[in-house]
Amino acid sequence: MENYKRLTGDLLVEFFSEEIPARMQFQSGVHLEESFKKAFDKKDIRFGEIEIFTGPRHLAIIIKQLDLKQQDQIIEKRGPRFDANEKALNGFLNSNDICLIDTEIKDTKNGKFHFYIKKIKGLETKKIIPEIIHEIIYGFVWSKSQRWGGTELRWARPLRNILLLLNDKVVEGDLELGNSEVIKFTNYTYGHRHYDKKIKIDYISDYQKILLQNYVILNREDRKHKISNDLKILLTKNKLSLMDDPILLEEVTGLVEFPNVMLGSISDEFMSLPPEVLSTAMKVHQKYFSTTDSKNNLAPNFIFVANSLSDTKRDATVVEGNERVLKARLSDANFFWKSDLSKTFEYWNDKLKNVVFYEGLGSVYDKTLRMSEISKYIAKVFNVNSSFASQAALLSKADLASEMVGEFPELQGVMGGYYSKLIGYNNEVSNALTEHYKPKGVLDSIPKTNIGGMLSIIDKIDTLTCFFVIGKKPTGSKDPLALRRSALGIVQIMIGFNINITMYELFSNSLNLHNNVSKALKIELMDFILDRLRIILKAEGIKLDVIESILTLSIIHNLPFQIIYKRITALNETRNTENFKLFLVNFKRLNNILKSSDVLSFSNFDININLFQSPIETKLFQAINDLKKVIKISEFELNNQEVFLKAIKELQIPINLFFESIIVNVENKEIKDNRLKLMFRLKELIIKYSNFDIIED
Amino acid sequence: MNKKLSFQNIILNLQSYWADCGCALLQPYDTEIGAGTFHPATVLRVLGPEPIWKAAYLQPCRRPTDGRYGENPNRLQHYYQFQVIIQPSPNDIQNLYLSSLNAIGLNTKDHDIRFVEDDWESPSLGASGLGWEVWCDGMEITQFTYFQQVGGIEVKPVASEITYGLERLAMFIQKVENVYDLDWDGVEKNQGGKTYGDIFLQSEKEFSAYNFERSDSSILLKHFVDAEYECNSLLSDNQNLLPLPAYDQCMKASHIFNLLDARGMISVSERQAYILRVRQMARSCCLAWMEK
Repeated sequence: MENYKRLTGDLLVEFFSEEIPARMQFQSGVHLEESFKKAFDKKDIRFGEIEIFTGPRHLAIIIKQLDLKQQDQIIEKRGPRFDANEKALNGFLNSNDICLIDTEIKDTKNGKFHFYIKKIKGLETKKIIPEIIHEIIYGFVWSKSQRWGGTELRWARPLRNILLLLNDKVVEGDLELGNSEVIKFTNYTYGHRHYDKKIKIDYISDYQKILLQNYVILNREDRKHKISNDLKILLTKNKLSLMDDPILLEEVTGLVEFPNVMLGSISDEFMSLPPEVLSTAMKVHQKYFSTTDSKNNLAPNFIFVANSLSDTKRDATVVEGNERVLKARLSDANFFWKSDLSKTFEYWNDKLKNVVFYEGLGSVYDKTLRMSEISKYIAKVFNVNSSFASQAALLSKADLASEMVGEFPELQGVMGGYYSKLIGYNNEVSNALTEHYKPKGVLDSIPKTNIGGMLSIIDKIDTLTCFFVIGKKPTGSKDPLALRRSALGIVQIMIGFNINITMYELFSNSLNLHNNVSKALKIELMDFILDRLRIILKAEGIKLDVIESILTLSIIHNLPFQIIYKRITALNETRNTENFKLFLVNFKRLNNILKSSDVLSFSNFDININLFQSPIETKLFQAINDLKKVIKISEFELNNQEVFLKAIKELQIPINLFFESIIVNVENKEIKDNRLKLMFRLKELIIKYSNFDIIED
Repeated sequence: MNKKLSFQNIILNLQSYWADCGCALLQPYDTEIGAGTFHPATVLRVLGPEPIWKAAYLQPCRRPTDGRYGENPNRLQHYYQFQVIIQPSPNDIQNLYLSSLNAIGLNTKDHDIRFVEDDWESPSLGASGLGWEVWCDGMEITQFTYFQQVGGIEVKPVASEITYGLERLAMFIQKVENVYDLDWDGVEKNQGGKTYGDIFLQSEKEFSAYNFERSDSSILLKHFVDAEYECNSLLSDNQNLLPLPAYDQCMKASHIFNLLDARGMISVSERQAYILRVRQMARSCCLAWMEK
């Protein structure tokens, strides 16, 4: 079809708006690219490379080598058979608004038909673009959007200009906003907010350069890179290190058009506040980076990124202003700190009695009482003094009522740790309070101390049990209460602290605190934890069949956690060895024979050694007895799991021998059934370790 | 360098700037409210009847829980907002706003001005909007909002609301670290000039004591119920609606709720219910206003 030279040009579209929230910018760029690709694909307009720019006010896309003309389209419509009656034929002609001469008769494998072959000449791309822009803008997805003035259109913030060049020429057209307001496509945009200069763009190839001359770094990565670089220079100059914060860096990148990285000082009077308070106050309210000195202590300096080019006089004003703001913020924090220090944990707990944990689940204080109950068993498991454990549970949520945590929710736990230490509670208890919200996700570390691990896990056990009991278990992708993360935390801690209790034991105390919990619900709850284990193991690269072969064991909820973990990892290590492969082949053969037999309908499985016809049967029988002994000493013994697995693997020899010399399907039913029983008993013992039939060859 | 603008001059300059922009200059509403937004000139007027509404006014605001007995340099239970409401939101509203800063001695070119996402919501008014807090050298000096909803009703056309926190702004302009040190009138001390503290410190002490210790909760609870009753009864007769007096009662109820809250009389579970009751009043007033 392509007998003409493909004519292409570059396209630049820039949506210029008031400041778009930093958190939405990156995603909007991704969405913009996808929208344009989809729109041009749909219109049969081909294109080359795409470049995206995202910032506070400029959201832009450059599409290289865009077809200047849509490809011609040929649409074939099949009509009635060539010998159809006139009525049918006229119907076809009328419905397509054509005459008989517009049709032709073509052979198909079903016979001859009338065909209408419609050739649609491709339109010029510039004629289609306005429609595409309209479609993209009205179909754009923002996490939050608004109207402005009289518009019907929604955008993250008011859209003020659309720069639209194809081959360096403005595409004629406009975007309707509703209520007869429009934005005409233009060949200009605006520079940095400070100068607010209208700039004409003559050549798409100059777009970035001209904006840079007007103090807008369009490319997000370039902007981020400049910030990182300037940060490094400033840090080196002042012998400081950065408290790394990629999320803050990304956010700050979205708050500036032309970054200007500066250093400010924190007044001495505030340096006695806990470092977490300082860095949180700086980050949350002011988007400042914290710094540390050579001893890794928080340094009395912060770094911030202004939106301007450097100017000695202005920079001095800006630094001074930011220092003053921080001083006011930290005075507030200081006020909270002092005010909190005059309170007691009893005072806060009293307040928590009036704070609802969740509807139907009592107050936050009630939660701590439940946690204290749960601690009675779990404390032993973690080898923690039971009175410390109970105390930690009862004090764990008090800081939620403190003024500091009221202001900075992210300091929960941390403040409890500080306040309890200053009041003089046992150090272990304080540590537990500090650490008990950890891990905050799969990438976060788990608590360091036993008591911290214990407190974290009982908090999560209570949360999960409660929400399952009131029917709030997550469904599909929805998990508003972050229960999956809680369950994941439990698994992370069980692995990290080598906790070797069963799922039943894990939840026994917490389930006793609720009435009428059905067996089905208990199983769902325990499976919910095992689901997270499955995900962790998969992430470690263990194949799902190995994991499933263990997790599907009927006694899984009564199998201690470390044994589950050990069995899976041991099996994973051995699955590719020759010995194991041989075993698996033999086991599956055995299993298949049993499956196709009527063994399950037998009334008993007693083996009669007098019916043995060969020493090989005796040998297999002996193997069963040997395995029984191994199982007795290893089924629930963590350190013997490898012994158990080894014993199973070694069975490949007697099983193999058995199959090679013994025919199961003999005439004599007694002998045959006795052999089936022999195999069945062996299989029942083998699958005490794992459902090996699930494992793929 | 010129003498720094006094607190009252900041107010005067803002008033004259926005008057020049075509805003009707209104006066503070004469009842206790928690924010300039509560003024009927904002809440009710953005719902009609005129499609164009431009107003600017000063509004004293009460936030009982923010009282600090005059001991905190930044927090007050009574403070001033300067409010500008323009409907429909003009295309150059951001620039109009930035020029207003120049009018009060803040040359935007000498500072780092940022528009940082801050969506606004007033649960008790059933109102929400999208916008920013405006930062000047890291200090939040203004709340800038595009009104999307009031009383649960879509605002059409959209109004832009600019709220200056005057004490903060003045502290920034005058470079003082304690609100009570603000120069109120620009008159020298020995000529009888007054600071913010001269005028308000005693009031902050007394009202903090009232808000936190001395207010009579049983009376307040009764007042709340009375205000709610009155509000509903003024809106009960469809032939004879009185949305403006009814809305007065709604504002009173909202303030009484804030007083009860400061007294620690409202538990978390009750809190939501109270807010809903105020919102219901606000919504009824808004609907009645539109009806008229």
